[in-house]
Amino acid sequence: MSHGFRQDMPPPGGYESIKYKRNLPIRGPGGVVIFGAVAAVCAFGFWRVGMGNLEKRELQREQAWSRIYLVPLILAEQDRDAYRRNQAALAREKEIMKDVPGWEVGKSAYNTKRYTPSTIVVL
Amino acid sequence: MASHRSATFSDQPYSDPNPLPSSVPHVEELGTTSAPLKSISFQLGSHCKAVNDDFMLCKAESRDPAKCLAEGRKVTRCATELINKMRESCLSEWDAHWQCLEKNNQHFQACRKLEKGLNDCAFSKLNLSKSIPGSPDGPQVHEKKSPIFTRVQK
Repeated sequence: MSHGFRQDMPPPGGYESIKYKRNLPIRGPGGVVIFGAVAAVCAFGFWRVGMGNLEKRELQREQAWSRIYLVPLILAEQDRDAYRRNQAALAREKEIMKDVPGWEVGKSAYNTKRYTPSTIVVL
Repeated sequence: MASHRSATFSDQPYSDPNPLPSSVPHVEELGTTSAPLKSISFQLGSHCKAVNDDFMLCKAESRDPAKCLAEGRKVTRCATELINKMRESCLSEWDAHWQCLEKNNQHFQACRKLEKGLNDCAFSKLNLSKSIPGSPDGPQVHEKKSPIFTRVQK
């Protein structure tokens, strides 16, 4: 049965299968884990921002009350100074207008009993 | 000649040298700057509550500075009294705290450690405690163990 040639045949055991599947080994944490971790970090961040907002509100409250407690002190000092300047201004006015008959010193321009601070400061 | 210019120096603050009329009793002004006052503001609020409320009610009745001079003197005397007491009993704590405030833009949250020393001293020696009105239940913001807002630069 010799034909003078030898039929080319597959290797013993057959050809190995064609590598059409991609070969990417799975490394690192899975998608669910990464997604979960990002969600956890975000949740912690938002919680912290929320706590910070609450604390900031309390800090503003503290600041406001610290100023409220100092208001009477500063107002009292200011009032004494305003009264002193006003009395001096009235004395000056009296001295300047002493020759004008019927001049009322310190008469308000407004027809009201309400306190109306002077809009003009005479230097 | 520029005749429209005023005869006063506008770069200098105007001060009226005339004294208070002698009918008004004399009271020494505090002369305390902002940081020391802010440092003891809560102690001041609780120590001088009665006279402060009295003065502010008087001011609510009339804004005229002449009307509430007597109440205002009481306010200033009470503050002077508290400042003298603080100087006697808690001077070092007070100094440390207000100097810290001075260096930290007067932010309370930057000086909690020194503030605790001052508050403890004021509470133990003068029986004045700091409490912020309207705060929610639980530790108040100055008593928090691990606050979120502290000094900007550590």
